[in-house]
Amino acid sequence: MSAPLLSIENLTIGFRAYGQYRRVLQDVSLSVGEGERVSLIGQSGSGKTVTMRTIIGTLPMPPGVVESGAIHYDGRSLLDLSKIERNKLKGTGISIVLQDPMLSFNPVLTIGRQMDDIVRYADVRLGQSRRKGERRAHIIETLKKVQLSDFERVLDSYPMMLSGGMRQRVLIGMALLNKPRLLIADEPGTALDVTTQDEILALLNRLVALDGLSLLLITHNLGVVREMADRIYVMDKGRIVEHGSREEIFRSPTDDYTKRLMAAVPPLYGPDVVTITNEKTDPKPAISIEKVSKDFTVRSGLFNQHKTLHRAVDNVSINVAQGDIFGLAGESGSGKTTLAKMTLGLIDPSKGRICIDGEDVAQSGGTSDFRKLIQIVYQNPGSSLNPRRTITDQIAVPLKFSGHETNKIKTRVGELLEMVDLPADMANMYPHELSGGQKQRVAIARALSVNPRILVLDEPTSALDVLVQSTVIDLLHRLRREFDLTFLFISHDLSLMRNFCNRVGVMLRGEIVEEGTVSDVFETPQHAYTRALLSAIPVTTDAAEALKPKVSKEERATVLNRSTAIGG
Amino acid sequence: MSLPDMTDGGAQRSLTSKQMAAYRFTRNPAALIGAIIVISVVIAAIFAPLLAPSPESSGSFVDFRNRHMAPSWDHLMGTDNVGRDMFSRVLYGYRVSLGLVIGVLGIAVPFGVVLGLVAGYFGGWTETVVMRFTDIMLALPPLAMALAITAVLSPNLVNAMIAITLLWWTWHTRLIYRIVKAQMNEDYVEAAQVAGASHFHIMFRELLPNCISAIAVKISLDAGFVILFGASLSFLGLGIQPPTPDLGTMVATGAEYMPEMWWEAVMPGIAILYAILGFNLLGDGLRDMLDVEL
Repeated sequence: MSAPLLSIENLTIGFRAYGQYRRVLQDVSLSVGEGERVSLIGQSGSGKTVTMRTIIGTLPMPPGVVESGAIHYDGRSLLDLSKIERNKLKGTGISIVLQDPMLSFNPVLTIGRQMDDIVRYADVRLGQSRRKGERRAHIIETLKKVQLSDFERVLDSYPMMLSGGMRQRVLIGMALLNKPRLLIADEPGTALDVTTQDEILALLNRLVALDGLSLLLITHNLGVVREMADRIYVMDKGRIVEHGSREEIFRSPTDDYTKRLMAAVPPLYGPDVVTITNEKTDPKPAISIEKVSKDFTVRSGLFNQHKTLHRAVDNVSINVAQGDIFGLAGESGSGKTTLAKMTLGLIDPSKGRICIDGEDVAQSGGTSDFRKLIQIVYQNPGSSLNPRRTITDQIAVPLKFSGHETNKIKTRVGELLEMVDLPADMANMYPHELSGGQKQRVAIARALSVNPRILVLDEPTSALDVLVQSTVIDLLHRLRREFDLTFLFISHDLSLMRNFCNRVGVMLRGEIVEEGTVSDVFETPQHAYTRALLSAIPVTTDAAEALKPKVSKEERATVLNRSTAIGG
Repeated sequence: MSLPDMTDGGAQRSLTSKQMAAYRFTRNPAALIGAIIVISVVIAAIFAPLLAPSPESSGSFVDFRNRHMAPSWDHLMGTDNVGRDMFSRVLYGYRVSLGLVIGVLGIAVPFGVVLGLVAGYFGGWTETVVMRFTDIMLALPPLAMALAITAVLSPNLVNAMIAITLLWWTWHTRLIYRIVKAQMNEDYVEAAQVAGASHFHIMFRELLPNCISAIAVKISLDAGFVILFGASLSFLGLGIQPPTPDLGTMVATGAEYMPEMWWEAVMPGIAILYAILGFNLLGDGLRDMLDVEL
């Protein structure tokens, strides 16, 4: 192999902050060859982003300090280049696609203006000049590459007017505008639904194959890596712990961390799948949702006069038996959170009836007995815990308002912390002193404080790293056995659902399109949408890939009418 | 130089947030200077009788032999038109100013904060009524309002305090309302509702702690402006009446002898400037330290 396009040699970087010095990268070496797809995989805080920002030169220094090491791009040492020289490489040599397709745009400028700026300033840096018409032709050429149609409309739109998938495509287009040789993609598509993510990944693969682009993909998702990488680097705590070809890493990982990471990913298909069953014989219904609909009034126009109804949940009926783990699957906007809020009595259904333990929520909702029956764990513990109150204070809230004796609250909090495997000395800490996984344990402890029989879990692990996710899932299983709980589990992560639930319902635009036991739904999906969803999930083994349902383009198009690709 | 533990096992706990905040504060020389100035003003006000070289100057003491004396070692800020020691009067003047600050903010801040909490938490028509009323109060020109009130009620310290208080709470209502509105989107509010917490609990135990840093910063910045506002009223003759030593009144009296006896207006003016500068620098420092936006 000739000299790689990008090579990092023994890069060691630290941060100086608050009078302390902390090393965040330690001897990181990495290379990307011409036309190669390389993945850098690691959990949050492992140093992936610092590596990326050092390559593109946006790491703030200070506080960042490069202790030692070098980065070479095309034979030139990036860290020694002058600022002007380095800027010339931006976009034309190395380009980047950032994670969040919304935050990466300026919301008050049209897409066309933002793309034109990129071309214009690159021209200035390179000392050339093109007329407006020529630049526009060039932009449209690039949009074709990322398979966007209807160029005029896209270019005249503001970012908010495009769907997430279209924004991500435009973002990739922007990165390609100045014909870079190396594209760095930071978690592409993770902020999007899985079906859209699948399209974006296919697009990136196509660009590498057709244009001979080199790709450095930064991600935490092993499934994505399997579809997107020729070689893999695994990063943990600022070090590269293992690297090799995709086959090597997936077939025979040698490092302990890589092995743990692989083991923690819930398998979608294959021999490692765990099937959960409800051991109860003849269980009584815990939650019964009967023909429930919810309409929201959307007001628009001058003085909010124009009213339209938006149906978030449409004629949904579900029965969850005691001891079930019922998974409610669906992409963003499918109405699953609205359904959960109605189950908790936080909002009233427009039509239909919800009964918890045989009693109508419309009557029992809001009472102390109702709260002792059903509680919720939220998606993001950073938001569901009050940043300014101690852990004890927060766990104590449900106790205080359910008539618990004040002098016993402290003991109960201690018990609860022990129950979720947290040390007792955390009782007096504030949320920011805890890690993400620990915070979610606190949220679980709070929900369990009044001994509810049903827990609504609203994507309880989606904000967590996969290794942490597996420990939280284990905890939930244990608690379910110990306290005889029923779970209503809301998620978009079907792989996790396959291994965590015994029954699932798939939601699409407010309706339940398929419902049944996990093995039935996953092995013989009936509805086209379920099949499209399953086929889009990145899996980690070839065996699982082979077992995924195959979906034709036509079939996909019938259920995903918002697909953003043309002719792709 | 070891690597931090980034696993789930232990959260990073090398520095607590309080230590970090304290670090930011001490690395901000302007904030430190502000704190020192504020402390010096507070000490001056509390210990005025001990620190003043001529405590009797605080009253209607007259010493015509020593009137209009330029600043010297005997009289650091000179003497005024009846021979009173200006420095002593400035120290006592700080007592009046700080008393005004405590009186005004002691009433306006809790009132404004509670209204802001209520409006932001309940929303709907409560919000409409409270916030529109606040807007109306904000639309009134403050100095003209204060002048009208003190003119009607007879000018003295208490009435000046009432006038300023009536105008001041609006800013706190607006500030807290905005913060609460933003916090209402956080899941912890809904979590508290699911847990059955009372409205009182959610407002004062869950939401209020998240407003405290902003309130602290606002109070510090406010203090300077209240002093200035009080001085403006006194300068116009509608605030604190002689012989009570008040900085605004002193500037007004001294202005008659400008420019020859410049110290009589300039010295109390500098004293006002000094206190306001201190509170503003402190407020800015606190804002950086607590990382709040006003």
